[in-house]
Amino acid sequence: MIDRSTASADQSAIVRGLVSKVRVPLGSEIYNRILETLYDEAAALDERRFDDWVAMLAEDLVYTAPIRLTRNGVNKDRDVMRTMMHFDDTYESLLLRTGRLTKSAWAEDPPSRTRRFVTNVRVGELDAPEEYEVISYLYVERSRLSVPENEQTSGERRDVWRNVGGVYKLARREIILDQSTLSMANLAIFL
Amino acid sequence: MLHKPGFVLSDGTTLDDLIDRDMNEVSMRVMDDAELYHHEMERIFAKTWLLLGHDSEIPKSGDYVVRDMGEDNVIVARARDGQINVSLNVCPHRGMKVCTAEAGNAPIHRCIYHGWAFRPDGSFIGAPIEKEQMHGSKRTKDELGLKKARVHIYGGLIFATWNIEGPSFDEFLGDAKYYLDQLFCRTDSGLELLGPPQRFVLPCNWKIPSEQSASDGFHTLTLHRSLMEGGVMGGTAESIYDNAPGMYGVDVGFEQGHSLRCLEAAQTFKMFSDMSFEGKTLDERLEMLPPPGITKELIPQLHKNLSPAQVEQLATIPPQVGGMFPNVLVAFIFAPRTDGGSSGALALHAYVPRGPHQVEFVNFIFAEKDCPEQMKRDMLQNSIQQTGTSGLIEQDDADTWPQIQRAARGVMSKTQTLKYQAIHGHEKPEGWQGGGYCYPGFTKDDTQWNWWLAYHRLMSADA
Ligand code: FES
Ligand SMILES: [Fe+2]
Repeated sequence: MIDRSTASADQSAIVRGLVSKVRVPLGSEIYNRILETLYDEAAALDERRFDDWVAMLAEDLVYTAPIRLTRNGVNKDRDVMRTMMHFDDTYESLLLRTGRLTKSAWAEDPPSRTRRFVTNVRVGELDAPEEYEVISYLYVERSRLSVPENEQTSGERRDVWRNVGGVYKLARREIILDQSTLSMANLAIFL
Repeated sequence: MLHKPGFVLSDGTTLDDLIDRDMNEVSMRVMDDAELYHHEMERIFAKTWLLLGHDSEIPKSGDYVVRDMGEDNVIVARARDGQINVSLNVCPHRGMKVCTAEAGNAPIHRCIYHGWAFRPDGSFIGAPIEKEQMHGSKRTKDELGLKKARVHIYGGLIFATWNIEGPSFDEFLGDAKYYLDQLFCRTDSGLELLGPPQRFVLPCNWKIPSEQSASDGFHTLTLHRSLMEGGVMGGTAESIYDNAPGMYGVDVGFEQGHSLRCLEAAQTFKMFSDMSFEGKTLDERLEMLPPPGITKELIPQLHKNLSPAQVEQLATIPPQVGGMFPNVLVAFIFAPRTDGGSSGALALHAYVPRGPHQVEFVNFIFAEKDCPEQMKRDMLQNSIQQTGTSGLIEQDDADTWPQIQRAARGVMSKTQTLKYQAIHGHEKPEGWQGGGYCYPGFTKDDTQWNWWLAYHRLMSADA
């Protein structure tokens, strides 16, 4: 039985930093290729080239964003709640989302102007061959319509990227946003 | 409690100037008026029953969540005796927030400022250094507990009000109970909240989403056009205005401002549309197309918990979307899935005021406690993909409401009116068993206008 009560702290292990013990060092060939891939991905999303983005996704992708809950005392570090999410997607459902964006998706038509900043990238080797654990910080500025104040969000992304014939594909992404109450009016954009 | 007679705004504007009950029009000024907002907090949010959460969130003694009643932050806690208590999260000593976490378990809530301590039922235990009597002697300990709200649990949903002597919860629900029981009180174990609610803030007045929650079926056709384009509601992008899939049914509205849209599922969703119920018994129909969230195995429980007329309604024309006055949206729907099927999505939203120009959208996602784990998983995913923060349906609502808010700032725009003139009028369909006002056929403005009449009634009553 999964304990879904709000009062109970999340029972999954507290994850901090890389789980992998084998670090892929900054400046190495693999690190550089993965960093390039993250930059390319951010550009594809900022420029709304969704077909290019989908081409970067593995078909077994799991894409989630758990909610946060402010806790104190012994549970102060158990503030990620994986029982509830802002995104709970698969490759197929992301296709449904990008497909909708080509039709009457008023939430993004007219579209937002976005700028994704990807930093603090740490990479580790995973047991599966050609799979890498990639942690990055994400900061997004989103300009909506003629509103002079931007919406922002920030968080950590815990990814798995898979080298498929020299091209890196996203196989797992968990977006851990910093806010327990989001200030963005919707998540009609990808993170 | 506060006692204030009916109000006039400082520039002489009255409620009747803002809500024209002859023309069925509401001045857009109501969305952008700080003075009116303060009256709303006193006359509505300090007076009526408000949804705070679900008892499955705090199953153990000492469990608590922190929520809001209007702009008053409260602790919702389960005490040793198993009872759920709702207490103002403000220290009676010098006003510090007593509970600084959003959820947890605590047998004692100790204020971090000077250390006054309280039980989960809000009662005062004492201040540190007992022998120094740091709470003085002018007030007894009984007087120094957290201010307590009146609580009612309905189908596991936690409601509270500051109106200790006011209408009972049953009076508040009125004839809506007959329909809401079909959603919240239909199985032996009831609903389970699948995780803490999603929360996000929108730059708009609480009434913009709330008046929509009063069964604005009409907006689905245009704002949620992508649903038709996806082909899930029958019809196509080209034909949506011709055959208007899902727009026909029976809207029911109530004096208290609540409402529900009762829709024939097989009519609404293309994935079921080739089902023929002809010559089928009630149970056969229920088995062919159980209402959203219900499995075949749970059908006997429907008979046990509901009247035959209620079961018949669930089998034929179940309540699917609607609202509870003042700020709750109910959505017990079939929502499209990537595999073409449907597991159903059960969600409630509370639109919590955050000042005249901001609202917090709190999205509660449910499943029947006794349905299989895999179904809970599917329903969670379905609800997240369609409702709330990233929901494909509700993204469009969240982008629309702030634009209405920005418009309401203009001197001229403020004088514009919101119009509720597409009125059907009460007409009970033949054989209809439930109460309330019925509006069969194409979804119109009746239920939303009832919402404004309920608003007018509360706002003009003495506070
Ligand atoms: S304000 Fe809480 S103990 Fe002083
Ligand atoms: Fe909507």
